[in-house]
Amino acid sequence: MSDAVAQQTEQQEPEIDLSIADAVIDKYIDIPGNLMPVLQGVQDEYGYIPHVVADHIAERLNVYPSQIYGVLTFYAQFHLKPRGRFIIRVCVGTACHVSGAPRIVETFFDKLGIGHAETTPDLRYTFEKVACLGACGMAPLAMVNDDTFGKMTVQKVDEIIAEYNQRPMK
Amino acid sequence: MVNLTIDDKQVTAPKTATIYEAAKLNGINIPILCHDSKLKPFGACRMCLVEVEQMKGRQIPACTTPVTEGMIIRTSTPDIVKARKMVLELLLLNHPIDCPVCDKGGDCDLQNLTYEYQVSANRFTDEKFQHEIDYNNPLIERDMNRCVLCGKCARICDEVVSFGALTFIDRGIETKIGCEFEGALNCEFCGSCVSVCPVGSLLARPFKFKARFWALTKQKSVCGYCGTGCNLTLGVQDNKVLTTIYDAEQGFHKGLLCARGRFGYQFINNDKRLTKPMVRKDGALREASWDEALQFVAGRLKGGNVAALSTARLTNEEFVLFKDLMKLAGSASYDHSAGYAHSALTKGLSRSFGVAASTATILDIQKSDLLLVIKTDAYETHPVVGFEINQAVKNKGVKLSILSDKRGKLGKLPGAKTLVHAPGTEIALLNAITKVILDEKLTAGTAASVAGFAELERALSDFTPEAVAGQTGIDAASIVQFARDYASAEKALIIFPTGLAYPGHNADLASAAANLAILTGKLGTEGSGVLCMAEKNNSQGAVDMGFYPANGGKDAGQILEDCASGSVKTLFVAGENPLVSYPDRSKVSAALDKVDCLIVSDLFLSETAAMADVVLPACSFAEKEGTFTSVDRRVQYFKPAIKKVGLSKSDFEIFSVLINLLGGQAPASPAAAFADIAASAPGYAGMSYAKLGEEGAFAPVDVKPALVAPAVVRPTVEQGKLALLVGSVLYHCGTLSQYGEGPMYVCPEGYVEISRADAAAHKVSEGDLLTVTSSTGSTQLKARISPRLPAGVVFAPYHFEAAQVNTIWSGAAVTWVTVGK
Ligand code: SF4
Ligand code: SF4
Ligand code: SF4
Ligand code: FES
Ligand code: FES
Repeated sequence: MSDAVAQQTEQQEPEIDLSIADAVIDKYIDIPGNLMPVLQGVQDEYGYIPHVVADHIAERLNVYPSQIYGVLTFYAQFHLKPRGRFIIRVCVGTACHVSGAPRIVETFFDKLGIGHAETTPDLRYTFEKVACLGACGMAPLAMVNDDTFGKMTVQKVDEIIAEYNQRPMK
Repeated sequence: MVNLTIDDKQVTAPKTATIYEAAKLNGINIPILCHDSKLKPFGACRMCLVEVEQMKGRQIPACTTPVTEGMIIRTSTPDIVKARKMVLELLLLNHPIDCPVCDKGGDCDLQNLTYEYQVSANRFTDEKFQHEIDYNNPLIERDMNRCVLCGKCARICDEVVSFGALTFIDRGIETKIGCEFEGALNCEFCGSCVSVCPVGSLLARPFKFKARFWALTKQKSVCGYCGTGCNLTLGVQDNKVLTTIYDAEQGFHKGLLCARGRFGYQFINNDKRLTKPMVRKDGALREASWDEALQFVAGRLKGGNVAALSTARLTNEEFVLFKDLMKLAGSASYDHSAGYAHSALTKGLSRSFGVAASTATILDIQKSDLLLVIKTDAYETHPVVGFEINQAVKNKGVKLSILSDKRGKLGKLPGAKTLVHAPGTEIALLNAITKVILDEKLTAGTAASVAGFAELERALSDFTPEAVAGQTGIDAASIVQFARDYASAEKALIIFPTGLAYPGHNADLASAAANLAILTGKLGTEGSGVLCMAEKNNSQGAVDMGFYPANGGKDAGQILEDCASGSVKTLFVAGENPLVSYPDRSKVSAALDKVDCLIVSDLFLSETAAMADVVLPACSFAEKEGTFTSVDRRVQYFKPAIKKVGLSKSDFEIFSVLINLLGGQAPASPAAAFADIAASAPGYAGMSYAKLGEEGAFAPVDVKPALVAPAVVRPTVEQGKLALLVGSVLYHCGTLSQYGEGPMYVCPEGYVEISRADAAAHKVSEGDLLTVTSSTGSTQLKARISPRLPAGVVFAPYHFEAAQVNTIWSGAAVTWVTVGK
């Protein structure tokens, strides 16, 4: 975690409203095997799973906090840090790799000032390297949320960032 | 039993055995790495692969596969050896080869197997792990670079300890063992994970770089803290106890210990140990010779008006001598801690059972159907008993009912039912439960013929669930259900802790609990009965040796009053620290001030010893031989692990010399004293050091049940005040653990726990310094906001000198306090 993000989560976490989590927990509390739906529901509400919320879920469902963390890190669907408005994914699968994906990745790192699985302090971007996105014909490939950008070049990185910098945050 | 063939040998094994267990039973060794007898089979490491002919030579893990009739197993064919070598090569791929600096060197399963299978080269190459080492706590170092992902640490912390601090995190080749949100380890520090880790990933930091494993002398002993009676192996070098060593086969607890047993041994070689006798001259304690000090003491004892207070940590042999010494000095006033602290045992159980002992053993816990635990603290006072409870509930499906004034860890176990009652109302609650059992005729057939039945029925007429609901704060329906649960269980065991800081746990509580067991016939059979867990390692021994007031002798509280009034002139305090641990500090200090001569034998210059006229340096359990009796009356022999520190002497030697100086005749040795015990103490007949062996022996309990109507004192509620509960905290035991570095690293000071609701009402934040005031005094304590306390109740552990909790704690069942910032 970069320092900027670490600071941000620390600043943000104390303000977290646990009653939102409670509403989700209340819905599932009596159902066996409720941990996954609770975590999914809570993530839908907060956009990620804050540490205090994980602890709160642990207390209410009577499971170890560590156990929750094990589940959260096992499934790729869960996020432990606040996520950006725009999720940039760059494919580093075999086809993309040989057609220059590493340079694309490096360029995003440089321009955004964040690394893999990190989020910019303004919460605009989250960057992720991913394995094959299933469109090898367009390699190298990048995605921003649901938009696809094929045959990526270093110049295109600038264009994408310029474009999404203009977009509203909500 | 099934018949099978292992390595061409015809053998038999129980139906439930795995191949690994069957082989082990028959003396055939199959290597294991991820398996431990205390844990559920996991099958992660593939070290234990064997071939089963019926499975067409397929290699299967021995640790997870159950035996079947006629199985033909081979454990070390060339193919298996090849496979095991490959497993080792793969493990060594990412594992650093830093054995020369690893504390596990010589005691590491990976290292030993590498040697055994002669893996001297690796056909594979890969990068070594680059995990950051966790040095964040002073007790356990976590170096995940050495981890073989056997999961034993995470499993033991879940399955046995029930803390769940560790887990597998991330996935695939990234998988590692870690804590919640990759934080530092902050847990119970029982060290169970350290003990089962087969490699050097988890290490005891206090032992780091102290010695190589093979250079240590290993001496078996018995833990000197609580009454569970766990067995220990002390690791000794240069006359110092450097560590405790895990022995998976040792004791009923199979080598498991709590934080105190595992990390609290440093008091033995603590620099603050007293090494020379001291006698007060011109107002100051000055070094003296043993001869001078003992002559002086003998002179005072001859002078009459003597009384004695003792810690419950002396050996049985020492208690007998101390008693003899007091008799020679003409006194019947001796006690082993503040009177009420053991009246549950001495008065309560002896009138209900005809013997001052528990009817059940710790081994009954896992054999029961239902455990009724009074106060969740059972787990904090006797942590390894807590492990037994965890395992009973989680592995054996034993039901758990809890009556307590606060919530605790036990209440989180699956299916646990907790009734949180108002402070000081536990006896009323037990009476109401008993009444339901009487009214609904849930009694055993013979109950009505037990002595006292009619009186009890009459005495309980007012204790209807409805009437008791009001004062206890528990609704009548729950009380009724609780009673039915207990009565309908085929086997049920009642467990409660007693000790210095449990004033409500008195004779009446013990009888109230005993009534339940007697009425429902849950007594005298396996998995049933009453287990009264006295605080210290030899509390039960002190009782068995009769070191408590009888025949007109005074108890601890009265002795202190007599000191204050001047009728006791000489007080001999052995290892006890009343100034810190007895209630109402100002009274204690006034009493100790007043006596003409205060004699203290102790390991340390305790707060009480600092007031003494003569201080005699005593030695620790690791320096002497003798026997301790655990809470379930297991008598265990131990011998010295090191030579006595400085000029210290055992209390046995001290009392022997004094007995001789007073004209008596002391037994020649602890063994001779034990022979006397075997001839006179009930239940000890036929025992001897030689016969006790490593397992010890249970002193049988002969129960003559009687029903006794327990008196109930209704705590007067003081409006606007908070109820102060005093008690033990997991890491500590009495005041001795203040000299064990381990416990002090993780729990260094006193505090007051306050509920979330009261914290909000009083605008208290975590760590605030609060002034807590009662009718007896006032002290300052750091606040801890705790989800386990109900509103209106605060809790403070009593062990710490600096916290002076006994200035505010009056000794009543409930002390009412105000808190302010
Ligand atoms: S020391 Fe005990 S409580 Fe802590 S992680 Fe290890 S096993 Fe769990
Ligand atoms: S830390 Fe030790 S016990 Fe835990 S998984 Fe790794 S090797 Fe096994
Ligand atoms: S303090 Fe008690 S529970 Fe802990 S190791 Fe010692 S005897 Fe066992
Ligand atoms: S490798 Fe990049 S899309 Fe398939
Ligand atoms: S010991 Fe059997 S698989 Fe590890």
